[in-house]
Amino acid sequence: MTSTAAFLRSSLLMLGLGILLLIGIVSYSLWLVQVNREYSDETASLRGVRSAIVGLLATSQDAETGQRGYLLSKDASYLEPYDKAVAQLPARWKALQDTLGPRPDYAVTLDELKLAIDGKMTELSRGVDLTRQGRYDEALTLLSTDAGLRLMDRIREILGGNLERTDDRLSEIVDKQLSAADSLQWVTIGGAIAILVVVGGAILVIFQHVRDLSRTREEVIALNAGLEERVNERTEDLIRANQEIQRFAYIVTHDLRAPLVNIMGFLSELDTSIKAVSTYVMSDERTPTEDEIREARLAVSEDLPEAMGFIRSSTKKMDALINAILKISRDGRRKLQPERIDLKSLIEANAATVHHQLAEQGGEAKIAAGYITSIVSDRFSLEQIFGNLFDNAVKYQMPGRPLKLNVDIRPDGPRRIRIDVRDNGRGIGQQDLERVFELFRRAGEQDQQGEGIGLAHVRSLIRNLGGDVTVESELGKGSTFVLSLPTDLTRVFRSTDQ
Amino acid sequence: MKASGQEVIIVMIEDDEGHARLIEKNIRRAGVHNEIVPFTLGGKALDYVLGESRDGLANRDRYLLVLLDLNLPDMSGIDILQQIKGNEHSHAIPVVVLTTTDDEREIQKCYDLGANVYITKPVDYEGFATAIRNLGLFFSVIQVP
Repeated sequence: MTSTAAFLRSSLLMLGLGILLLIGIVSYSLWLVQVNREYSDETASLRGVRSAIVGLLATSQDAETGQRGYLLSKDASYLEPYDKAVAQLPARWKALQDTLGPRPDYAVTLDELKLAIDGKMTELSRGVDLTRQGRYDEALTLLSTDAGLRLMDRIREILGGNLERTDDRLSEIVDKQLSAADSLQWVTIGGAIAILVVVGGAILVIFQHVRDLSRTREEVIALNAGLEERVNERTEDLIRANQEIQRFAYIVTHDLRAPLVNIMGFLSELDTSIKAVSTYVMSDERTPTEDEIREARLAVSEDLPEAMGFIRSSTKKMDALINAILKISRDGRRKLQPERIDLKSLIEANAATVHHQLAEQGGEAKIAAGYITSIVSDRFSLEQIFGNLFDNAVKYQMPGRPLKLNVDIRPDGPRRIRIDVRDNGRGIGQQDLERVFELFRRAGEQDQQGEGIGLAHVRSLIRNLGGDVTVESELGKGSTFVLSLPTDLTRVFRSTDQ
Repeated sequence: MKASGQEVIIVMIEDDEGHARLIEKNIRRAGVHNEIVPFTLGGKALDYVLGESRDGLANRDRYLLVLLDLNLPDMSGIDILQQIKGNEHSHAIPVVVLTTTDDEREIQKCYDLGANVYITKPVDYEGFATAIRNLGLFFSVIQVP
């Protein structure tokens, strides 16, 4: 969840950053192109200005040169360039006026220029007129007044100034264009780097996300497999519990019915006996026969006490059975009180209660433990469990062989602990390994007192703690009771509550 | 009750003394007077039926009939049945299973293992007595001429 949100956030950030950068680069480039176009237009228009200025200057000089040639040679053929220049002049002037008119810094010079050009043209045309009329001296005098020269200088000066201004402006624009090109280059390089960084970052984020996703997927697969396993385990537990209930019901009904059969049977026998007795007692006036007397005596001396004895013992047995069932049921219903318990010291304390019986025969109890012996569980149940197991070990030891009890505590997978209680007693036959845990059932030689409750109780207690007990055994060599317990009872409760 | 001219010995494997006594009484009432050898433990009964070495050779010159309770304290009656019926020298011994349950699967299992008769011990005593007496009839049926 967090990974997805972080991924979304960082990839959106990257995307946003990338888009902003691209927009910036594109708009700056567009702006630079626009600026460049303006510079180009300006350059073109300035070139127009320049050519108009140069054109006017050339035409004025052509006119002057042609007039001077004519004045000196008096040859009419020299007038041709002059006439041509004079004819061109209004167009040239018009072009100059059009190009310079909109430019205020140039326009201010136009009036003075007009004046100078008009003056010059008047001077030139007078000179030509005088020469045509043959008044050479007057023409030369006009020439020598220097008025024409000054006017021409003035024209050159004004046009030259304009030309210079135009050239300055042009070189300025070229500089600006160059710097704009530079900017464009740098912006492009910067943009490329920025895009590379953003793309790299995005790839990195995507890569990380993909890695996270595949890791999560693996986890989900693992969890799924675990879940399936747990469902199977739970199902097996349920099936087992169900089978146990059926087995329990079977045993209880069977075992309760056995004394009932006795009671009903001997009640019936009582009836028979009483009939014999009453035949004798109620004989009234007639004398009872020999047989009747014998039967009545037999009934009173043997049958009646026997029947009553069996009825009494069967009733007692039923009571004992019911009490045993009640005890197991009560312990099963008892509210467990989880607390932190050091298993090793609890087992040691329980082993100490049979120490005396062990020492009598030269036996011993050894308790070995790994470094984890602390669990959270129900003390009362554990004491009952180990108490029963140790009592059994003492009870069913091999006669003439000192009893050796070995308890081994070690971790058993995650959050479970395993306790092996091994003895060198008489052992249990293969066919009886499950039977010993059944209620009212016992195995092997029946030379010890017992009701067949102990191990059934142990199993019911430990299953209540979320654990289990099984037994491995070899007849004549010894048995190992394998106990498995959760290290934390409260966790088992929690998962059961769900 | 005889087989091949020999007295048949009734082996009663029943841990409940009361049941044993009732069975005996009813057998006698049915007019069967053969010797009854009672056992309360499966192990001891097998020692008798199959011999201490469990080879079953003891049955070559005697005729037994086994009354078997399925629920014994030291071992399961099914195991006893299996061992008797699994031995070549003892598999011919008629076995009458007596039990307090009428679980059909258990009955079927006993027949599968070779039990000859299966009788449930009902709480209703008349039924029980009748069943035992019928057993007396059964005893006379198995008498081999």
